[in-house]
Formats: sequence, C-alpha cells, structure tokens
Amino acid sequence: MVTMRSRFYKKGDMVFISHLDLIRVFERAIRRAGIPVAYTQGFNPHPIMAFATALGIGVASEGEYIDIQLSDDMDSELFMSSLNSVLPDGLKIIRSKKISNKAKSLMSIVCSSIYLVKLKTKRLLNETDIKQYIEVLIDREVIIELKQKKQKRGHRNKKPEFREINIRPFIRDIELFSLDEHEILLKMHLAAGSRENLKPEVVVDKLYELAGLPIEQYETRIKRLDLFADIEDKFMTSLDEDVWNV
Amino acid sequence: MERLQIDNLLYRVEKPARYLGNELNSVHKIAGENMVRFAFCFPDIYEIGMSHLGMQILYHLLNRQENIFCERVFAPAADMEEQMRDNNIPLFALESRQPIRNFDFVGFTLQYELSYTNILNMLDLAGIPIYSADRNEEGPIIIVGGPCVYNCEPIADFIDIAVLGEAEEVILEIIDLYGKMRGKNYNKSEFLKQAALIGGVYIPSFYDISYNDDGTVNSISPKSGDIPMIIRKRIVEDLDNVFYPEEMIVPYLNIVHDRIMLEIFRGCIRGCRFCQAGFIYRPVREKSHDRLRELAKKLILNTGYDEISLASLSTGDYSELGEIVKHLMEEYSDKKIGISLPSLRLDSFSLQIIKEIQKVRKTGLTFAPEAGGQRLRDVINKGITEEDLINAVENVFHSGWSNIKLYFMIGLPTETDEDILEIKDLVFKVADEYYKVPKEQRRKRLNITVSASTFVPKPFTPFQWEPQSTLGAIYSKQKLLVSNIRNKNITFDYHDPKTSLLEAVFAKGDRKLSKVLELALKEGCKFDGWMEYFDFDRWMSVFKKANIDPAFYANRRQEYDEVLPWDHIDVGVSKQFLIRENENSKRARLTPNCRVNCAGCGINRVFTGGIC
Repeated sequence: MVTMRSRFYKKGDMVFISHLDLIRVFERAIRRAGIPVAYTQGFNPHPIMAFATALGIGVASEGEYIDIQLSDDMDSELFMSSLNSVLPDGLKIIRSKKISNKAKSLMSIVCSSIYLVKLKTKRLLNETDIKQYIEVLIDREVIIELKQKKQKRGHRNKKPEFREINIRPFIRDIELFSLDEHEILLKMHLAAGSRENLKPEVVVDKLYELAGLPIEQYETRIKRLDLFADIEDKFMTSLDEDVWNV
Repeated sequence: MERLQIDNLLYRVEKPARYLGNELNSVHKIAGENMVRFAFCFPDIYEIGMSHLGMQILYHLLNRQENIFCERVFAPAADMEEQMRDNNIPLFALESRQPIRNFDFVGFTLQYELSYTNILNMLDLAGIPIYSADRNEEGPIIIVGGPCVYNCEPIADFIDIAVLGEAEEVILEIIDLYGKMRGKNYNKSEFLKQAALIGGVYIPSFYDISYNDDGTVNSISPKSGDIPMIIRKRIVEDLDNVFYPEEMIVPYLNIVHDRIMLEIFRGCIRGCRFCQAGFIYRPVREKSHDRLRELAKKLILNTGYDEISLASLSTGDYSELGEIVKHLMEEYSDKKIGISLPSLRLDSFSLQIIKEIQKVRKTGLTFAPEAGGQRLRDVINKGITEEDLINAVENVFHSGWSNIKLYFMIGLPTETDEDILEIKDLVFKVADEYYKVPKEQRRKRLNITVSASTFVPKPFTPFQWEPQSTLGAIYSKQKLLVSNIRNKNITFDYHDPKTSLLEAVFAKGDRKLSKVLELALKEGCKFDGWMEYFDFDRWMSVFKKANIDPAFYANRRQEYDEVLPWDHIDVGVSKQFLIRENENSKRARLTPNCRVNCAGCGINRVFTGGIC
C-alpha cells in the first residue's frame, strides 16, 4: 500500500461546497482519473482517504491536505496531473508526495491554522479603533462559546444539549493586516485539528458580540492561508520537508 | 443578456451548491443571436429535480443541437427565494445566471400535482405573468410535459403548450418550427396554430370547455376546424436508436437518487389497476443488452459514480436482466461499482439477482404487496400471492437481511376494515418468518418498516371513476392499523391523507381549478409536497373563496358516461378497456400480464414498436 499526501487549494465557486460534497468530488475524480485507489472493506466500500481538517461552507483555502491510499504504486507527478485534469475549477492539487506507512495521519499533525478574514464595517474606523476592539476581545481570560453536544444515535429527537467552552486558549493571535475604508483584513492564527479547533466565523461573532466591532452581518469573507504543525515546539507548516518525510 | 450577480446571496443561504450551475457535465454555451434559449424548470428543490431522469435526457438532447441552449432551473429553497425577492433578483437559469423571462421557452416537467403552486410561484419569481392570456409576444412560451400532462386541465390556463408522451422527437419539431417562424414577423398565435398540428402537441387555449349545471363537463371542442378533436400522445418506437445521454450532470450535493440512472425499458406489462404509470407509458419497449453495455461503460467513465441503477417501472420484467447484471458485475465489481435494481417483484429469480449484486454493495429491500389480503390484491390486479411474499421474505431473512420495508395502500376501492386488519396479519406472518431463522444465524434485531400511503384515483387508470375515501374514513383506518400493529420491531409509517386529497383534486380536476391555484399562489401556498410548508387550512379557505368543493373532484363516484375533463386526450389505451378492467376489479378478477396474454388495451392498434 502506498499513501499519497497532497496539498490542494479550494477557492472560487468551490468554497460553496461542503466537506461531505468535497469527499464525493474527490471519490468521483479518483475514479474518473483511473487512479488505483484502495477501498474500505464492508457493505459500502469507499476509497480510503483522509483530510487534515474540514472547512466550513463559504471558506476558501490555499492550503488543504489530503492523504489517499493507493492499491498500486504510482508516480506522484502522474498522480497529480491525472487528478488535476478531472477536478473542477477551484480545486487543484499543488503538490503530491508518497509518504511512508509510518507517517502520522494529517489529522494528528495539524494543530493550528492562519486565516485572512475580510470584514466590512458599518462605519469608518481608524487603525487604533480596530486594534482596540481586538484587544477588548483577546484581553479577556475567558471567552465562552456554546457548543451543541453530539446526540447519541436513537436519541435524535431529544432537546439539543449545549456545553460551554472557553475558546480563548484557542486564539493564538489576531492582528490587523490592512484597512481600506470600510474593508478591514484581519489575520487570525487559531487552533485547528482534532484536539482543539476554533472556526474563524466564531471569532468574528465574538468580535461583534463581546467587543462590539460594528460589522455587516453577511459581508465576512474568510480564506485559510495554511495549516501548521507543532514539531518539537517549533511552528512549521505541514508543507515543511519534516512533515513530508516522516 | 447580463449575468446576474448572485455571489453575495450565496453566502447567505443554506446549501449554496444548489445554485452554482457548473457541475460536472453541465453545458455552457455562448448565446448568440440565433440561439434558441430553453429553460428546463423542475418545480421543486434541486435535490429532487436533479434526481429526475427525464431532465437529464432532454437537457443533453437539446444541448446537442447547435442552435439550442438548454439550462436548468429549480424552485429556489425558501431562504434563497427570500434573498432573491429582497434583492430584486428574478428567477434565473443556473448555467448562464440570466433571467428566464427573456428566454424563448420556459418548460416545466409535471411530475406530481402538488407542485402546481411551485410552477406559479416560479413564474411569479421570474416576472412572467401567470395566465397565458396575459403574456404578450415578447414573453417566453410556457411548455409542459411529464406524467401529469395527460390531465393538465387544472393548469391549462397558465400554459401555452403541453407535450403529450415521450418528448425526444416532439420537442425538436416544436423548436424547429419556432426557429423557422421567429424573427421580424413572428406572431405567437400563428406559431401556436402551426404547432398544434404537430403530433402530441396540445394547445389548451384552442379548446372550449362547456359545463353542465351540476358542474360536470358537458363538452370539449376545438375552437376552429383545423385543430384536432383528439390529441394522441407520442412515443419513441425504437429505444435503441433514440438519444440517450452518455454523460449525466453530477451534483456536488447528495441528491435523492445520487447514481447513474440507466433506463432499461419503458412501459409495464403488469397493469396494476391503481397505477397510472402502468397505463400511460404503454407499450413496453426495451433497450437491447448491447446498447445498455455500451451506455453503462460511457456513463461510468464520464461521471465517476460508484453506483448504477437499472431504471424502469418493473425491473424484474426486463427480458435480459440476468445477462446485463452478470455483465455489469464482471466488468465493474473490482472497481466497486454497485448495481441497484429499483422496483423488483417478489419472484425467486429477482431474489437470486439481488443476492448476487450484494457482493459489491448492500442495499435495503422493499416489497410492495400494496394490500393485506388476497381478495383486495386481486381487486387491484397486483398479481402476487401471500405465498410469493412469504417465500421471498423467508429467502431474504435466511440470507442475512433483518431490515425490510413493506408498502401498502389504504383507501383502495371495495376496502373494508377486515382488509385493513389483513395488513396486520400479513406483517406478523412476515415477522414470524424471521424468527424461524435459527437464532445463531440472526445477525441483528428484526426491523420491519410498514409504510401505508393513501390511494389517489388517477386519470387513465381503471380506477379513474372511483371516489377517494374521505379524510375521516382514512383517519379511522390508519388508527385501526396503528392500534393493532404495536410492536417494537415494527415501525409504522403513514402520511397525512390531506395531501392525498389535494393530489386527487388536481389529478382529476378541470379548468375551473385555475382560479383556485391563482388564489393559492396569492395566499402563499407553495412546496405543498413538503409537510413543513403544506397548510391544509389555508387550502380549504382558498377553495371556499373560489367557491369550489374539493369533494366534487376527489370523493365523487363518476359514471362511465360522464364526460371526463381529459376525454380529448388519447394515451393509446381505450376507455372500453379501462371500463372492462374496472368491472373486473369489482369481481376481484385478475387480468394476466401482457406477456401471458394480451388483454386488448388498445395500445397495439395505435402504436407499433411495442412487444405486444
């Protein structure tokens, strides 16, 4: 068995498809490209593949990662070009590399992500104003987010239960990237992955609710720049040779 | 035409992928001056409409013509509609994002009667006047097709053209005529006059309907001598040579039927007396095994789907089913491409095939005895016995299934409370078969889902004269069944008969109902097939305002000599045959399927090409 690790982008119209849609797009693309993929066992076999994280609907990304397990060896350049020839506009593999069987899963490596968040303010603000709004939020020791508990099977009709989570530790950094009239760009470095995860959408909501940043409700646009892994306490992107060569 | 800017809207709605229009195998053309623009509208949301095979066929058929650009339109979901109305975005075609009110043709497929309000709402959202009489030369021609078109009288005042039967040939003839006539001296009524002479074309505005004092139809007559008295449906004679798409649009979203649909034959040999499809799609015509192999290969290659469904009204009746399944298994099982066989009957041959295809992908099993007891099954000409069902479930339980569905109908003609209780008896006999499997071989807990729908009398069936049971009668029968069937291994699934009442009204209705539909649109009725939107009280107040009694259409027994609103339409099956079949049903007399014996329905006097 060979596992092919790839970095791809998701932008343009493809920001509007969900993570489940994305899985289907890849499954069908793999079949159309004739890639020798390994299948899961069981009653409903699926190509074996794993993503680093899931993106929300409407969020673009320059740095997504996927592992696809192959049943036969294949040249990584050929893999990339065959897949790219059938993927829709807005999805493109940027790099592919075979990784060792001992390599850690993408999901277990990823721990944070950097986003660019474009917001539209209701009134004109200057740099100092915006920085103050950000400080109001990140100076808090506790920022509570209500998260709906997953319901057990067979208990779907029960009232949804919520638990409170302090998301402050998941915010590594928020900085003002640029300002142009009503349009502000924030750079957010947030926890991402299977252990800790914070969506930038939630941070935007908190900036509005808790810090009072006056923004237009539907005008937020988010792009993930890259995913990062913590290796030996250094920040590295998943793209780093260390990660590709594990 | 400008491309509408909808990106901002897409960030505000659920499932924006419904509105992208750039799915795999969708067609995008540059629309020049001479291009005929056709909007193919499905009056329900994307996930339902994209599951419809007819749209996939006609979309690719039309787009294969250089001078035609056919695009898709679905009913926007409530959140999107709100955004569109708030932002003055008219209904647009998905591919070009251009307003359909500027198109040449706006076509709707009539798959079920409860979508009629959605048609009007879509016209409204498009900025197109709903009544054909109010539309001028400039506006698009509203054209409809699909199974409900055989009695489209309730929407007759809203449409310009109805295409009766299979549209593959007719639609091109209509557009061809339009192409020749359009230009400087184009005159819509002259175009419609000439279109009315094409076989299978029905122009409702060319007919006068008169009524008796009691509200029944007195006569249906063409307004001028050159318009045909009777309009006969069109069929495609040779299914091997007719166009079939070699690619299908593959949605991003998980739609209802998310797989390749490979049509294996049209028509049905069975003649179940409640089933409209069993009569209107006659005669039976098959695609050959060779043609299917070729299509399957291309469709698998071009879509990337992992499942192929062999589509027809009764898949087990395809004469080479064993061969085609064997071929697909041999060729594609290592690629993990599963086969699904909808609408199978209970015979042992079908079960053998099901077991075979499970080796790739496991599917659920549904059986449709329709009625609990033998007498009632004979009344509806279902043609299966209790023994058939018991043998079938014994077989599948021993093969490891523990989860099956059983379909029944409530409110069938001649039905009594005893018949309802026989449903219960049958379900428990099925359950008993499960417990005959040795305990150590049973993998999971038994789960039988019993689904009971309400009988709706439909035009062109032997039951077209039958009254639908009243709501009260259906409720008490449902209650009787619920109270007798309580068991932790049995899930009872039944529907509110109120939607079935409305379905009967619009299935059998006449032109007086256009007033009701217009009012319903004003009152905000839409998505009536969806329980979260359906508002029965609102509908009843609409009927009252229009001074129309729904019971007149749904719950009244009609005499054989009454003029029916659809008597000017000819589906090839004779009225004498339908009367004979209605009489047979009263005596619980079976009519054998067409392969065993010709029942003389009349279709072979009208059409050649069928097996009969």
